[in-house]
Amino acid sequence: MTLRRPLLVLVALVLALAAFACGGATSARRITVWHAYRGDEERALKEVAARYEVERGVKVTLLSVPFDAYLSKLQAAVPRGNGPDVFIDAHGRLGTFTKEGLVADASGAIGEADVARFDETSVRALTQDGKRWGVPLATKCLALFVNTRLVTSEIATLEDVQKLRATLPASAVPLAYEAHTTYYHVPFLHAFGAELLGSAGDFAMVGRGAEDSVALVRDLTKDHVVPDEPSGALVKQLFVQGQAAVVISGPWLLSELRDEVPFKVQPLPTVAKTGKKMRPYLTVEAAFVTPDGAGKPDAVGFARWLGDDASARTRALVGKQVVATKSAWADPEVARSSALAAFHAAAADAVPTPTSTRLQATWVPADQAIKKVLRGEAEPKAALDEAKARFDDVMRPPPPSPSPAPVMLLAGGALLALAYFGVRRARAPGFRAELTRSLPVYRYVIHAVVTVCVLVVLPLVAGAATSFFAGGRGETRFVGFENYAQILTARGGALLGHGSFYLTLLVTILWTVLNVAAHVGIGLALGLALARPWLRLKAVWRVLLILPWAVPSYVTAVAWKGMFHRQFGAMNAILTAVGAPPVSWFSHFSTAFTANLLTNVWLGFPFMMVVTLGALTSIPKDVLEAAEVDGATRWQRFRHVTAPLLLPQLLPSIMLGSVWTFNMFNVVFLVSGGEPDGTTDILVSEAYRWAFTRDSQYGYAAAYAVLIFLLLFVATRLLGARVDRAKAKVA
Amino acid sequence: MDDKPSVLERVVVHLLLVGAVAFALYPVLWVVSLALSQGGLSGTGGVVPLPRAPTLENFRLVLGTTDPDGAWLFGRQLANSIVVSLATAAVGIAVAIPAAYALARFPFVGKEAGVRALLATQMFPTVASAVPLYLLLDKLHMLDSRGGLVLVYAATSVPFAIFQLRGAFSQIPVDLEEAAMVDGATRFQAFVKVTLPAARPAIAVTALFAFMSAWNEFILAATLLSREDAFTLPVVLQRYVGEHDAAWGSFAAGAILVSVPVMALFYVAQRELVSGLTAGGVKG
Amino acid sequence: MSAMTEAAEEREPRAKASVEETPLPASAPRPIRCAARGVKKAFGKTQILKGVDLEIAEGSFAVLVGPSGCGKSTLLRLVAGLEEADEGKLEIAGRDVTRAPPRDRDIAMVFQSYALYPHLSVRDNLAFGLRLKKTPQAEIDKRIDEASQMLGLGHLLDRLPKQLSGGQRQRVAMGRAIVRRPNLFLFDEPLSNLDAALRAEVRVEIRRMHERLGATTLYVTHDQVEAMTLADTLWVLNGGLVEQKGAPLDVYARPRTKFVATFLGSPQMNLAEGKLQKASGGGFVAEGGGMALEVDVERFGAALEDGREVALGVRPHDLRVAQPGESPSLELRVEIVEALGFEAYAYGWAKASGPRVIVRLEAEHARRARPGDVIPLVAPPEHVHLFCQKSGVALDAE
Repeated sequence: MTLRRPLLVLVALVLALAAFACGGATSARRITVWHAYRGDEERALKEVAARYEVERGVKVTLLSVPFDAYLSKLQAAVPRGNGPDVFIDAHGRLGTFTKEGLVADASGAIGEADVARFDETSVRALTQDGKRWGVPLATKCLALFVNTRLVTSEIATLEDVQKLRATLPASAVPLAYEAHTTYYHVPFLHAFGAELLGSAGDFAMVGRGAEDSVALVRDLTKDHVVPDEPSGALVKQLFVQGQAAVVISGPWLLSELRDEVPFKVQPLPTVAKTGKKMRPYLTVEAAFVTPDGAGKPDAVGFARWLGDDASARTRALVGKQVVATKSAWADPEVARSSALAAFHAAAADAVPTPTSTRLQATWVPADQAIKKVLRGEAEPKAALDEAKARFDDVMRPPPPSPSPAPVMLLAGGALLALAYFGVRRARAPGFRAELTRSLPVYRYVIHAVVTVCVLVVLPLVAGAATSFFAGGRGETRFVGFENYAQILTARGGALLGHGSFYLTLLVTILWTVLNVAAHVGIGLALGLALARPWLRLKAVWRVLLILPWAVPSYVTAVAWKGMFHRQFGAMNAILTAVGAPPVSWFSHFSTAFTANLLTNVWLGFPFMMVVTLGALTSIPKDVLEAAEVDGATRWQRFRHVTAPLLLPQLLPSIMLGSVWTFNMFNVVFLVSGGEPDGTTDILVSEAYRWAFTRDSQYGYAAAYAVLIFLLLFVATRLLGARVDRAKAKVA
Repeated sequence: MDDKPSVLERVVVHLLLVGAVAFALYPVLWVVSLALSQGGLSGTGGVVPLPRAPTLENFRLVLGTTDPDGAWLFGRQLANSIVVSLATAAVGIAVAIPAAYALARFPFVGKEAGVRALLATQMFPTVASAVPLYLLLDKLHMLDSRGGLVLVYAATSVPFAIFQLRGAFSQIPVDLEEAAMVDGATRFQAFVKVTLPAARPAIAVTALFAFMSAWNEFILAATLLSREDAFTLPVVLQRYVGEHDAAWGSFAAGAILVSVPVMALFYVAQRELVSGLTAGGVKG
Repeated sequence: MSAMTEAAEEREPRAKASVEETPLPASAPRPIRCAARGVKKAFGKTQILKGVDLEIAEGSFAVLVGPSGCGKSTLLRLVAGLEEADEGKLEIAGRDVTRAPPRDRDIAMVFQSYALYPHLSVRDNLAFGLRLKKTPQAEIDKRIDEASQMLGLGHLLDRLPKQLSGGQRQRVAMGRAIVRRPNLFLFDEPLSNLDAALRAEVRVEIRRMHERLGATTLYVTHDQVEAMTLADTLWVLNGGLVEQKGAPLDVYARPRTKFVATFLGSPQMNLAEGKLQKASGGGFVAEGGGMALEVDVERFGAALEDGREVALGVRPHDLRVAQPGESPSLELRVEIVEALGFEAYAYGWAKASGPRVIVRLEAEHARRARPGDVIPLVAPPEHVHLFCQKSGVALDAE
């Protein structure tokens, strides 16, 4: 009865893995650098780092971190000393960095004397509280790409662009840019004297100027100066194929352009109506030194090294960066790239992106407002006022710290109840004997109990515990049940208002029911079809139909998102082929929801099919034959024999499938992304948004997670009882 | 059932199957076409997705990534994925098997509560546990390592594996073990020499699921891994979808490279998949 | 019911006092190979075994028989060590094995389901136990050879269980027991999954194997034909207690209780409730259900009292058609005749309100019998059984 041997093997395995993990001791002359560069920029960085290694004899480990995970990795790693010594990131997160102590004062890398070596705006962007926090490396801002074949005149004002409409062929558009994206709208905003974020950290995209700017873009779209729903891919394609006279884009477009069209780059024009320049946001990429790195001369030295003249030259030539080091622009080879020089000139006029952490919360409401206006669903004023209200809702001050008494009481009560039932159970007659008998069995389950408790339950409980706290990182405080209260009262708004818990819950339920119904329906039909005794090539059919199961779900989601693309997606190609107008999938709830649904149905039906196939094999043939002899028709046999025998076997799978669908984050987040306007979000993706795009309200997100858990737990318990009854009936 | 199906039945069944296969294959073809095209989304098109100018450039790009020392980075990352996924399957199964066996065979105090708790872990959105997991692995000094990743993956795969295997074990007649014990085996020997081999299909399928969950996971991997040469393939794939632009061609090529091994495993295991899932019954 | 139900302390005296047990076959007394003493077992609140004593002599073939739920399989599993007794003691080959795991008991068992290891070939199935004991390979080969010759498994050795027919599987299961050469063979309803013809064949085979190996055997069945044909000693279990034990023919001829009387014999013994009446010649007549049966006074002796309420019984085979002039014990009104060729059974009543009566008819009568006929029948006194109406115990066993 001994399980000692596998236990030992397991322990050995774990130890081996642990040893594996701890391998690689650190030496003093070694620094780690994080970045999110790809392609040319990465190549340039490697070259610069290699030179540093040779010159200083320091091993530089470069790590390319996926952009999506960049900030959360920094937040997780740096405070625990697992982070890099130096990292390269946009200055826009400086507010977060300083607030959370992720960066150190970089005066060592960029001293008073060095300031003059860099572009003035870029240094200003990195200065906060009188300290310089990073070495400016490169700038990115929007500029105007002009197709010099289509446009021969000078473009000085936006009105000049508008006028192109008259001279261009109908197949070409005067101006293409991602009009529904706030980042691209900011230059228009500035041209009307408005701002996105006020100096007090308020949502400032309201009032006359802002309304006029949005109205202008609406009119541009109406007049076919700007195409409908231009995605980045469409903008690029229009320009590459010579169908757009002018596009607004950033330096990243340069790497996509070859010699298809002759073009030049120039700073954004002026809006003649207001006489103001369209000043875009300026992103300054900088080398930041972490608190760990600040203690290493090699790390500080590397940050400095990145910004010096030779490095800047390499980054400009190899990495095609708009470097912030002045001396590089004196280099004749660098100056030869007129496009880079133009971006450099544009940067001088640009407004550094505010570093306030509150900026992050402006994007989503502002995007939604612009989209609504462009779609003609709302007037600019109404849309922008609503956006402000949403911003204020998200950024509402954390509730006051209440006394911890209610939470303690509840926790205490729960513990007491647990203890009471425990003791009652223990006092029950025969319990002792039962326990004695159970003891040897525990040797079988102890590994699983420990593993699951430590690595699954503990993190979940820890996650759940954060639901009693509020506030972003670094300023969390205890708020008791306030998060729950706010969620359940829809934060004082209408109970079924936009973004309320109840509305999202309804969507989630609709999502789950439709999905599971489709999974079961299709799975059942295919399972029954594949079980036909006369069907040939069963194995082939089966393999082809199982295929979707074998594809990772995020690949599926991203691929389907591409298939629903307005201009290049396969779905609209099919619609066009059958003579239907193409659909803008993500601008209406019904179509966006359908897109999500189609994706998830594709993803999930093979599982139910296989389960059905398996369950079918367990239905005794003679029962069906008996029914046939009894004169039952094919349908009656299915309805009265197969189905009642099949269903109890399928129910556990259906239940599990429902739970999975209820929490199917990947599809909703990656396909529709909640579009339009967050209406297709389900509870899980809503929770994710609170945690990662709305001022890091982890506590609020955790409360969502706990509510999801409670809902599912209660629902499955109720369903489970019914399943047992259904099973008992058949057995 | 009838030996001779009506023509109508034949037609309906075949229409259904053909329709379903078209539905199942279309996105796959679309991704393949994307992978063989230059110029991202606009490089493919039409109702039947065909690359405008077929090229293997995307595959060359994805496969050909090297690190600064010129070592074959994609190879390393492929190896990571394989090692991590295999280890996850092995550890997950090793932990789940004894527990599932106990649940299938013995009554014991706390069994009901344990099963309920296991089921409950499946209901908690994982979004909530990423940060605590990071802190935990940090304490264990297992951050940035395949080992840590394996432990986390294995642990998350354990509850489902236990449900699967419990069903499988409870379908294996107790007689077999008793026969072995009468033949002179200890309970443990009976378990290892008789029950385990008899449950092989279900164990294979469960291992496949654990393997797949590790092979496809990217959120935790992106959080817990910090060295490029330690990345698993999904993290690499995710990098192709960046801030300003999506490298659709590379993404599609990578997606195909990631999916092909799992498809191959499914093909090999398809028979066991049906019987193994049945045995497991995915009983909740 | 019987004295055997009493508490464990009375075990010793009871062993002696127990009913007229017919002695074991005449051969010299052999040592006891396996014994159970006062064994009790409950599952949850259900008491399955209520204190059972069992003894199996060296080399003898003991059969446990009884209806389902009587505890016979539980008793077998206790002997095998697959369950643990709540109370009582188990001995095998003189050793107390009450708490020993199966592997320390040196037993072999043939399961109802055969329990062949599905992943092992027939050869490996046979070798399984020997390998666990680290038996040398040469010895394993030799024993497998012997067993497969005895059972005709030679050509099946490399097959997997799923490639075998039901009968073949059964033989492999027996082979797996044989190669072990254990102290004790256990059989748990090994024939119940076979069809009738095969069952008869294998039954003979099992007996032949026993004759040849002389192995001590405990065999559980609910089938009385198997019980009657295979057993040296028959143990009839009912409700967790031993109802009767003895050589099969003795048990058949002298059932100690009404239960044993009806359980053994097919078709069942005819039973009716009735009364004893003193007859003119000093003898007794049992009357009931339309029958008036003369009783063997010598057999029942003092238990016979005038007017005593009894259950009277006579087996269908023991009734014969009355000769002309002979006074019949009963007159059977025939309802149905089942003709089997060499014999026939007539079903009917001796009295409209009485219990059904069955009689076996010789071929000559069978041919003539028609539904509706009235056949006069005679029951020879030596074949008339009497049971106490209250306790169900035979009057000669009280």
